Amino acid sequence: MKANKIPVGPFHPLLEEAEYFELTVDGETVVDIDMEIGWMHRGHEYISEMKTFTQSIYLVERICGICSTSHPLACVHAIEDIDNIEIPLRARYIRSLVGELERIHSHLLWLGLAGHFIGYDTLWMWAWKYREPVLEMFEIISGNRNHYGMMRVGGVAKDVDPEKIVELQKHLDMIERKMIMISKIAKDDPVLRSRLKGVGVLSHEDAIAYCTTGPTSRASGVPGDVRFDEPTDAYDLVDFERIVLPNGDVYDKLVVRVLEIIESVKICRQCLDKLKTATGPILNNVKEISPGEGIGRYEAPRGEVFHYIRSDGTNRPIRHKVRAPSYVNIPSFKASCKGIPIADALITLASVDPCYCCTERSLKIIDNNHDPQKLDLLKLSREKTERIRREINAD
Amino acid sequence: MAEVERFLKDMGGKIHAKIEKKGRLYFNVDNADIREIAEYLFVKMGCRLSTATAMEMYHGIEVLYHFSHDKTGQYFCPRVVIKDKKNPKVNSITSIVEGAIWIEREMFDLWGIEFIGHPRMEELLTLHHPNPDLKHPLRFKEVA
Amino acid sequence: MGWYNKRLSKSLWVFHASGSPCNNCDIEILDLLTPRYDVKRLGIKLVGSVRHADVLLVTGIFNQKIAPRIKRIYEQAPKPIFVVAVGTCVSSGCCFKDSYNITEKREEVIPIDMYIPGCPPKPESMIEAVAKLIGVLNG
Repeated sequence: MKANKIPVGPFHPLLEEAEYFELTVDGETVVDIDMEIGWMHRGHEYISEMKTFTQSIYLVERICGICSTSHPLACVHAIEDIDNIEIPLRARYIRSLVGELERIHSHLLWLGLAGHFIGYDTLWMWAWKYREPVLEMFEIISGNRNHYGMMRVGGVAKDVDPEKIVELQKHLDMIERKMIMISKIAKDDPVLRSRLKGVGVLSHEDAIAYCTTGPTSRASGVPGDVRFDEPTDAYDLVDFERIVLPNGDVYDKLVVRVLEIIESVKICRQCLDKLKTATGPILNNVKEISPGEGIGRYEAPRGEVFHYIRSDGTNRPIRHKVRAPSYVNIPSFKASCKGIPIADALITLASVDPCYCCTERSLKIIDNNHDPQKLDLLKLSREKTERIRREINAD
Repeated sequence: MAEVERFLKDMGGKIHAKIEKKGRLYFNVDNADIREIAEYLFVKMGCRLSTATAMEMYHGIEVLYHFSHDKTGQYFCPRVVIKDKKNPKVNSITSIVEGAIWIEREMFDLWGIEFIGHPRMEELLTLHHPNPDLKHPLRFKEVA
Repeated sequence: MGWYNKRLSKSLWVFHASGSPCNNCDIEILDLLTPRYDVKRLGIKLVGSVRHADVLLVTGIFNQKIAPRIKRIYEQAPKPIFVVAVGTCVSSGCCFKDSYNITEKREEVIPIDMYIPGCPPKPESMIEAVAKLIGVLNG
């Protein structure tokens, strides 16, 4: 039988960003997948070579709107790695606090979108409703909902006052209660469980071969987590657990993220407690960067963000390499999408929390008459959930 | 660290110009040896390929691989220097590391480095780009 | 057109096309639909195809690869369609203005009716923009 090709994208209702997939299908089964990117390429690495070190922190913040602390954090780690610059204790706690709050809001965002893709809009609304208090906390800390501008080489830009800490703790108490509720919903819901269990499995071997990072690899039993492997900032001063699950399907990826939210709340609470007593400056004055090369990394919500900076002793980097986590996670679709039904392809494509703006820092529209059946992935995915829901209710 | 010492003992003959820092090891290797080094790091030591960086310097084009040893947080960075700027060629490591496919395609796209033995050597980001003048945008521009 | 516009303002259907943004504006647009801001109470709905839309939201710097697609999306839309540019990227290029891949004149790709500045604009300012658009449609 001749295999059919289904073009998806670049503009489609699945994700906000434009990207192009070409699914090769045999009947209902996906045989192969090809991806074309480049629709979001903005040339950060080129622009960064024209900016000074301080300016480039603001530039990398705008690589991606969701990871807008992870990229600056990895960037300042890279610059600090060149000269082994020490960071004041108070700044370390503030950095980790902002980083973990970002993880909470990013995982909630993914949870909501995953619910939306399988036709479970209730989960979308719940998750995004409780994402708002997290953004409010950012507003208290930095003054912005997104793009916080908190990071500096040698410390942070803004301090967290004692009055703000009280306010933040109130918010955190509320968020923790709601997160426990949402984690129970996500873990115990029968529809969600039977819809996602065993779907889009990324095996342990493939996760290693494709060099995947973050929740994508931790759901496949690969324990890599930069927060433990190379503890920077306050991660060696607080207690939290490494979440690793063995199965590699979409359900495990969901559970990893949900459990990580709870761990992040724990870290935030400890950071706020320590900030009450840890006094001192928040910024070490760094006068100049000596020639050399530095590697900085940070565990972003999606995986390891990697920055490499090479300096020649002037105030501009001569090479600034950025590697976002989705860049290594997206090629793993080739392994995880093979042999699954088309209705499951959508949630599998969404399961690594792909962020194309990060990936491309860097689809063509195919006419509808090219594809006689006009397959709508979103519709197919929702119909399957509805079918499962009816079956469960019938029992 | 034990891993670094063992690595230097086993592969010492192929390593030139090494720079050791806290948790980082940068060293130069010849183009002919890169596959062997990558196999040792990825298969035997269980490192993960973080990414690879290409850069153009005055003395040639450099490709710097970043292998992360996740258990200790140690980075191994082999560097291949290509003197021939007009027609740079490097041996591909995709037969050893599956995840290097996109990484090498991006370097071909933005820098014009050809990887020998790559299964699909074409542009990644500027594939089907409407502007044909935009070729290898990160290379130095020749001033007329 | 006045009669038609007045009917249109009761319920605006919106299509959202992202032309190489940093994703933040897109997330804030989706945020509008969720319980805190909930623009669905004003009759605004996000649709999956531009052929159903009355308003086209665009974000980002329109890199050279995506600019022809944005143009094509605009051509596919039933007229009249109102183009609202969200974020600083569309109006000034933000920090990407030195890039090799940027479209220099974004207003020549598609005609833009309204700009919402901000990096990213707050949801409140987007609601204000929608309210102003409805006011204009009502005459």
